[in-house]
Amino acid sequence: MAFLRRTRREEATLVGSDCTPLGQLHARVRAKVSGQVVRMRARPARGLPSLEVVLDDGTGRAVAVWSGRRSIGGITLGRHLLLEGVAVDSESGLTFLNPAYELLSSGH
Amino acid sequence: MRIVIAGAGSVGRYMAGQLSKAGHDVTIVDNDPDALGRDEAQLWKRVLGDACEVDVLSRAGCATAEVVAAVTGDDEDNLVISLLAKQEFGAPRVVARVNNPNNEWMYNEMWGVDVSVSTPHLLTALVEEAVNVGSFVRILSFEHGRAQLAEVTLASSSPAVGRPIGEIGLPRESVVVAVVRDGHVVHPSDDLRLRDADEVLVLVVGESEAQVKSILVGATEVE
Amino acid sequence: MHVIVVGCGRVGSTVARSLSKEGHSVVVVDRRPSAFRRLGEDFVGDTVAGIGFDRTVLQSARIAEAAAVLAVTNGDNSNILIARVAREMYGIEKVVARIYDPQRAAIYQRLGISTVATVSWASGQILSLLAPDSSKVLWSDPSSTFVLVERRVGATTAGRALADLESSGGRVALLTRHGEARLPVATSLLQEGDIVQVMVSTGALSAVDEFFGSSEGGHP
Repeated sequence: MAFLRRTRREEATLVGSDCTPLGQLHARVRAKVSGQVVRMRARPARGLPSLEVVLDDGTGRAVAVWSGRRSIGGITLGRHLLLEGVAVDSESGLTFLNPAYELLSSGH
Repeated sequence: MRIVIAGAGSVGRYMAGQLSKAGHDVTIVDNDPDALGRDEAQLWKRVLGDACEVDVLSRAGCATAEVVAAVTGDDEDNLVISLLAKQEFGAPRVVARVNNPNNEWMYNEMWGVDVSVSTPHLLTALVEEAVNVGSFVRILSFEHGRAQLAEVTLASSSPAVGRPIGEIGLPRESVVVAVVRDGHVVHPSDDLRLRDADEVLVLVVGESEAQVKSILVGATEVE
Repeated sequence: MHVIVVGCGRVGSTVARSLSKEGHSVVVVDRRPSAFRRLGEDFVGDTVAGIGFDRTVLQSARIAEAAAVLAVTNGDNSNILIARVAREMYGIEKVVARIYDPQRAAIYQRLGISTVATVSWASGQILSLLAPDSSKVLWSDPSSTFVLVERRVGATTAGRALADLESSGGRVALLTRHGEARLPVATSLLQEGDIVQVMVSTGALSAVDEFFGSSEGGHP
């Protein structure tokens, strides 16, 4: 049990300090953000599938788009995600294209 | 504007020259020191390196560039450079050159490309335009293919000849941008009566192309 | 299964020959027909001369039936294009690309493409990537009580907690994600594309295999 308690704290620091609140996110700056998936859709673009996810952390929202797939295992509505990448200004708002992601256990 | 050009071949160097003269902050990237160093004039910055590498694009200033142009002679390189520029640097506008028309289908948001330019395609369009009176010629695509700039030289048989622009029934999603008549550009007001041999430049959005064609060219056009 | 190998260099020809010997249907694609000589007289399979990201070439290679595409030409960029077309346009799940540049490799891994780098063990790595259903044994202790096995996480296992995997009897020694290796924490959630190395008793091996379930399944 002590082992598990310690490791939960380690994961908390993985997320915490260097994450940019979505409300303060700027385009074109490499950032780590975390939030909850509030919307998800498989969106075809020119006959190719893509997965579009809207993330919300209470301070703002951002979009993540992964091209060429309709789903990613573990990414579901309500899931907490950590994303890392550079956001682009787009019609749907600040968008991360094919970002690196981490699935987070609930409570982040 | 800050512009990064990947590819110091004749196209890249020409672009660098023109854009620098227009007052933009230009950086050119190429892996070949000879290609980079050919011109004495130091109007633009140079970065020696493989533009398909993130570090090199970073050194070239992609993080703050307004436009990144991938204009090497290699489609694979242009697509990868475009993807990195969009995905890793958030470049607002990525322009890429299509070398082999067979690869044109990949030049879109899948690879981060906002605008693609295919010289063979443009040349064909211009040839078509020179050869065919009465044909509907697509010059450029915009908005990821959703909008087209097209040109029609009105033949005497065109249903639009003799009628004012406002009365030919163009759909809402299209607009006449200009009319070139006897070498002059004429403002396309609604009451401008179209004439045989007028070159009509029209912007067509979405599904209305077929309708615009039948209005300007006529229904019996054989392509 | 039907596999398309693009690039008939040392790696491509070696893998194509191995796959063919194992009974798979193999088509090798290369720009230069002279490269097909490397396959040898006894190679059972087809060849198509052409560019691997060209749709007509892929169709000649019967991509609609393919279960896997290996992009192992000399060019990183060609391999990326081939891999993305195969995966995104044709829905091929098992796509491997050889990418030498580690920075670019990490980027493409985020697109769900498995990448291999070094030529020397590329063939072996590729072959094991193509057979994800069983745990690949990397090491076993002298008494064969414990084995270190390697698995790739597929879509069905993604989202499950490492702690669940460990409760089936193994201890996760290392987790490699997006090209970076790390010592995982028990609360980590497994993600598609993760490569895990698990130390497990031979007795618990079947439970670990069961945890990972069947392979990635059908097309997306």
